[in-house]
Amino acid sequence: MAKNLKLKAARAAKDMSQKDLAEAVGVTRQTINAIENGDYNPTINLCIAICKVLGKTLNDLFWEEDQHEPKRIG
Amino acid sequence: MSRKGLDERQLQIRNSIGNQTFLLLLYLLMFDVVLYGMGVKWASYPANVLMILALGAGIYVIRLIAAGAFVGPSPKTQKPLLKVSLTLIPAILAAAAILVIAKNAGMAGSGPSEDISAPVMFVGAGLALLVAAATFVIGKRRSKDEE
Repeated sequence: MAKNLKLKAARAAKDMSQKDLAEAVGVTRQTINAIENGDYNPTINLCIAICKVLGKTLNDLFWEEDQHEPKRIG
Repeated sequence: MSRKGLDERQLQIRNSIGNQTFLLLLYLLMFDVVLYGMGVKWASYPANVLMILALGAGIYVIRLIAAGAFVGPSPKTQKPLLKVSLTLIPAILAAAAILVIAKNAGMAGSGPSEDISAPVMFVGAGLALLVAAATFVIGKRRSKDEE
């Protein structure tokens, strides 16, 4: 699984550490680290919790553009 | 989200390790039965079963600690080291007291025995504690490195 750099960037933009984000969503810091490194695929509930804390949508943080997929409009 | 217990990643890891340990226990117990059937008696019953169970439980706990799935997300005020120490010290004192009382009461057997179950279990428990402590320290260091 690829690294989730969008999540890392959104967290950094909010000036939050992995620990801060982990405490905000109720998981361990290792779990946030695993998500950012692409080692763990979070459930939709955790994705939503992270999005709410960072003020982003699921698409912003967790949608992976496929190279062969036509670009979405809008 | 709930702050009690393990988080979702830790639960998945715990379930996976639990399944593997269960199968390991099954194979070890079956292997013990096969050995017994072949005439090899490495420890008397029920010490052999107890040792296999202790081994499985030890492997389970050590793997959980190593994978960071033993303690869930918790407030900073918790002090697991203090809790562990406060549990361990009375347990060791109680074990020592029972051994002394049993020996003085003449319950340890009338003569010398060739059964090595007791020393194996005693040394095994000590080794498991050392390995668990080492795993805990390694986990802490790895966690700091990740930060």
